[in-house]
Amino acid sequence: MSADKIEVRVAAIAQVAPLIREFRLEAVDGVLPAFAPGSHVVVEMPAQPRPHRNAYSLLSDPRDPSAYRIAVRKQEQSRGGSLFMHEQVSEGDLLKITPPANLFTPSWYAKRHLLIAGGVGITPFLSFLPELRRRGAEFELHYLYRGSQTGAYSDELAAELGSALQRYDSEQACRCDLGELLARQKPGTHVYICGPQSLIDGVCSTARELGWPEDAVHYEAFAAPAPGNPFRVELARSGRVVEVDSDTTLLEALESAEVDVPNLCRGGVCGQCATRVLEGSIEHRDTYLSADDKARQDCIMPCVSRAADDRLKLDL
Amino acid sequence: MSKRPEVEVPGVKSRPCYGSVQLQPRARLHLFIYQPDAQAQLQPLIESVDPSSCLQFEVAGTALAPALVDALQSAPLASAIYLAGDESFLWDMRNLVRGNGFTERQIAMLQPLNSARRVFCTHCYTLTEGVTHSPMVCSGCQRPLLVRDHFSRLHGAYVGVQINAEDPEDLPQEEPLS
Repeated sequence: MSADKIEVRVAAIAQVAPLIREFRLEAVDGVLPAFAPGSHVVVEMPAQPRPHRNAYSLLSDPRDPSAYRIAVRKQEQSRGGSLFMHEQVSEGDLLKITPPANLFTPSWYAKRHLLIAGGVGITPFLSFLPELRRRGAEFELHYLYRGSQTGAYSDELAAELGSALQRYDSEQACRCDLGELLARQKPGTHVYICGPQSLIDGVCSTARELGWPEDAVHYEAFAAPAPGNPFRVELARSGRVVEVDSDTTLLEALESAEVDVPNLCRGGVCGQCATRVLEGSIEHRDTYLSADDKARQDCIMPCVSRAADDRLKLDL
Repeated sequence: MSKRPEVEVPGVKSRPCYGSVQLQPRARLHLFIYQPDAQAQLQPLIESVDPSSCLQFEVAGTALAPALVDALQSAPLASAIYLAGDESFLWDMRNLVRGNGFTERQIAMLQPLNSARRVFCTHCYTLTEGVTHSPMVCSGCQRPLLVRDHFSRLHGAYVGVQINAEDPEDLPQEEPLS
């Protein structure tokens, strides 16, 4: 990890939905840095043969320096991280986290804020809400989930927000009509989406059809990097060769080989880990590079993207 | 994701560069806001829009007419705004429109009408309007200021710094600003 890590103690663990656990993290030394709404941290879990590193949104009040809270959904297709958090981590354990970084901050130019959460995607909005309320901002929260799996904090939010919250439990056949929801928004509204890619795509395409400006639409997806074919990476500067197996990301393989690559979101969003590619073709999986950048085939986001064939040569 | 619409000039990163303005095809309402002399500049765009989805406002000075304020507050989310006038007008309007909840991408600025600049004095913070040459005399503190290309979007102004702080006799030749 590039930024200095912070050692934290797991102060409390709570089951907040059938598949979601909340972890309260307190600093081992000193106080935790302040953060802005929408921030996340990367949690490093001491697994073998290599540590898991996953990004989680902070869901506590940004003004509360006593602890950070994160919520982890157990993924059926876990690459190990969420399973480790659910099965290996106990109260009192020590973990390392990065200082908070933020790729999902509210736009304070907005007149109104429309928040759309899918499942565990509720987490960043929990850090939005205290700040929106302190500022007296106008907002509504639409929360989509499956009652038997997710829906964390749903009742607390209902009690707190009243009519500013709409809940849609798909297992109760309660669906959110995105077209209708977006069409009735007033001027000056910004929309924020956190949830599965299908929800993000649905809101983005609806907004586009309605003629909304692109920069009034904000989203964050932290889907785990999907596996792919194994490949070999040649590092041009050191002459070393690193093997990347199918369940490991290129970034993780480089980290295991002690090659330092700056990184932040580990989800193909922020662009920090951009690395120059000298040879080989790239399977781009990030949302950072433009289509033109991708077509040039000279730069890769190793946190999510992979070789299209069996080798890459990197300028490292 | 919200990239700035203007292109940056290499060298002085903050100086805005005004590209050609296209009609925003998905907008449901087009608002044209201009200074009295600048309507002609917008005319080709205005003519390419269906008059039923087009509003025009001529603005003299910096105060917004109630009709314009109403229009900004009731405009649909899918609105586009086009600004024409001198450079300080463009940025004053842009800031007012942003304050009404419009995003960067919704606001298009045409080439400024002329090369006159608003200058922000770094010594007394006074704004001097319509500056065409450098060095110039600050209207607040009377210091001779070198006008730099460094631009403040908030003030719609270029930075002016005292040019002869060490030697009051040393005043370079006045040069027209571009």
